[in-house]
Amino acid sequence: MSTIPKKGINATTPLVPEPATVVAVIQETPAIRTYRLVFDDPALMAAFMFAPGQIGLISIFGAGESTFAISSPPSQKDYIQFSVMRTGAVTSAIHELAEGDRVALRAPLGCAFPVDSWKEKDVIIAGGGIGMAPLRSLLMHLLDNRGDFGRIQAFYGARTPADLCYAEDRAAWEARADVDFIAAIDAAHPDWSGRVGLLPGVLEEEQPPAAGAVAVICGPPVMIKFTLQSLERLGFGDQQIFTTLERRMKCGIGLCGRCNVGPKYVCTDGPVFTLDELRRLPAEL
Amino acid sequence: MRFIASDGLPRLLERLREDGAEVWAPRVVRDTLNTVLFSPWSEGDEIETGAYSTLSAKQLVLPATERLFAYRYRLTAEGEKIEIEAAGPGMHAGETVVFGARACDAKALGVLDALFLSTPGQSYNDPHYRTRRAGLTVITLACTTCDSACFCSSFGAGPAETAGSDLILYPVGGGYLAEGFSDRGRELAALDIFEDSSQEKPALAETAVLELAGLEQKLLDIFDDLDFWRGATEQCLSCGYCTYACPTCHCFNIFDEMQGDRDGERCRSWDACMFYTYTLETSGHNPRPEIAHRYRNRMGHKFSYYPANQGEILCTGCGRCIRGCPAGVDIREVLKAAAARPATPGGALQQETES
Ligand SMILES: Cc1cc2nc3c(=O)[nH]c(=O)nc-3n(C[C@H](O)[C@H](O)[C@H](O)COP(=O)(O)OP(=O)(O)OC[C@H]3O[C@@H](n4cnc5c(N)ncnc54)[C@H](O)[C@@H]3O)c2cc1C
Ligand code: SF4
Ligand code: SF4
Ligand code: FES
Repeated sequence: MSTIPKKGINATTPLVPEPATVVAVIQETPAIRTYRLVFDDPALMAAFMFAPGQIGLISIFGAGESTFAISSPPSQKDYIQFSVMRTGAVTSAIHELAEGDRVALRAPLGCAFPVDSWKEKDVIIAGGGIGMAPLRSLLMHLLDNRGDFGRIQAFYGARTPADLCYAEDRAAWEARADVDFIAAIDAAHPDWSGRVGLLPGVLEEEQPPAAGAVAVICGPPVMIKFTLQSLERLGFGDQQIFTTLERRMKCGIGLCGRCNVGPKYVCTDGPVFTLDELRRLPAEL
Repeated sequence: MRFIASDGLPRLLERLREDGAEVWAPRVVRDTLNTVLFSPWSEGDEIETGAYSTLSAKQLVLPATERLFAYRYRLTAEGEKIEIEAAGPGMHAGETVVFGARACDAKALGVLDALFLSTPGQSYNDPHYRTRRAGLTVITLACTTCDSACFCSSFGAGPAETAGSDLILYPVGGGYLAEGFSDRGRELAALDIFEDSSQEKPALAETAVLELAGLEQKLLDIFDDLDFWRGATEQCLSCGYCTYACPTCHCFNIFDEMQGDRDGERCRSWDACMFYTYTLETSGHNPRPEIAHRYRNRMGHKFSYYPANQGEILCTGCGRCIRGCPAGVDIREVLKAAAARPATPGGALQQETES
């Protein structure tokens, strides 16, 4: 896994976050909002470097700190974007934030998708629900470096049209000839004229060839389970399939012991893993 | 060999205090029957040199609770801003001398160093830990006897272990023979409170020895044997005592302490992987819902994962978890049962290190 210099993290005090400001809030779906953050220290912002798949920990003081995938691409130097689904204490406090509000951020942490080793390959991306967040970063990065890759197919599934994030981006991806982007919803809906069906089925209909390709999937556990089965039927091997793991996290730097799956730590060895790596881990997900 | 008379010990410790060090020593906690804790020592305080300390000395490098930073909201010309001020190590930041650690306690510090002082760039080393560890002098009391819970002889040199100790004191008639194992230790042994001696070192204790060979892989092999783990934890209450008492357990929680409406401090404190909520997610999903799952992870971490990642076994056989468990769970029984399993060549972890 490619390790990126952890520029946003103050290496002398790695558990201490840096103050940041919310510069934009986008209501994506009833439960998901996107936040664009900027470090208050301009030098830190200018030096900020990361790669798709890496994560950040957002602090809302008093509520705590939670882990989120960076959803903007590395080329986006004006802000660092996160898409947050409201679930418990910290995510609810994040959903109270408005433009101009102050938060604190530790980023980037974790290992990225090994994009450099995908040169010339076809890339298949499949995201379900909030799992599209790291894949937005990845897809935009692939498109920023379009010449480096073969065919790019991206699939994004959600329950209903109202549950799909990134409306503007979706329109842009659909309009581009150099990416085959398909958004699909689970069941027919009056507001939807696009593809209908669960992602694993859509994937099998499209039949992306496995030879010389990699597939990246992120989403809820059931989606991952059935999408993996589809990819297997399409002939994808375990080393061609990449996914991300979620575990409760505290330190984010491999010290607190919270996020291990057997001998691997999601915060430092992951969150990106190949299916091959996952199969060698003790079954404790 | 150098020698220090029993009544020279308080003089040594007092001298160290006068030079500015905090001195900690095992002391019987007042109004309890048998609780012995590493406690701040000053002249006149009784030191317990017989009974083992109930809790380890890890608090001197990893305090039970400590501040990480303070956060404050301030109104500025550009509107409200957050100020964050890193706390620094605070507790035990200068020279701290711990007297009366045992070989297993001293060794445990070295085992923790493998993670908390790991090479910068490969992983983060912990600045608070680093500062405290650099200022820590460990004066170890060699064990000439042991109790029925001790099993440190299962790990390397056992009672003769010198790793982690600056100075080791060996009990002999009238006092202690002293041997330095670091520059600081040799410097102390050269002080005029010590004298030269031609006495022989005493025979050290020999504890029970467990056969631990191959355990790193065997624990992975029996990972899916839930009956094994349920059997091992039949009596466990999931109270977490074993993790708090253990000199090598180091998991921590991070939380905010509010001071007033919005300002406050972020702190960390010891946590326990034996708790149900440790891995509980918001959705209600819990990767380790049963005590058996959690104990399996605790054993895996100590005897398989940490050895694979850090090259050290995360246990020194101090026996604290055995002495203190309210339910009578004995880690040695679990280790014996696991080690008795036949080895399967080419298991998961092995394949990975080979590839
Ligand atoms: C690598 C990774 C990437 C993630 N990316 C995103 C993302 O892009 N967008 C998004 O909305 N969510 C993401 N999550 C999930 C998100 O971290 C949790 O939903 C969030 O921590 C819940 O916190 P809470 O305080 O609102 O809930 P509470 O239930 O109040 O949380 C208590 C604590 O539990 C922990 N926790 C609870 N559920 C989870 C979980 N599923 N995963 C990890 N920790 C959890 C957190 O440490 C939290 O502080 C990601 C998680 C991980 C591990
Ligand atoms: S001290 Fe004993 S009862 Fe408590 S968690 Fe540890 S093994 Fe279980
Ligand atoms: S696991 Fe038990 S015997 Fe081993 S170091 Fe910890 S407390 Fe001591
Ligand atoms: S979050 Fe602390 S070890 Fe991964």
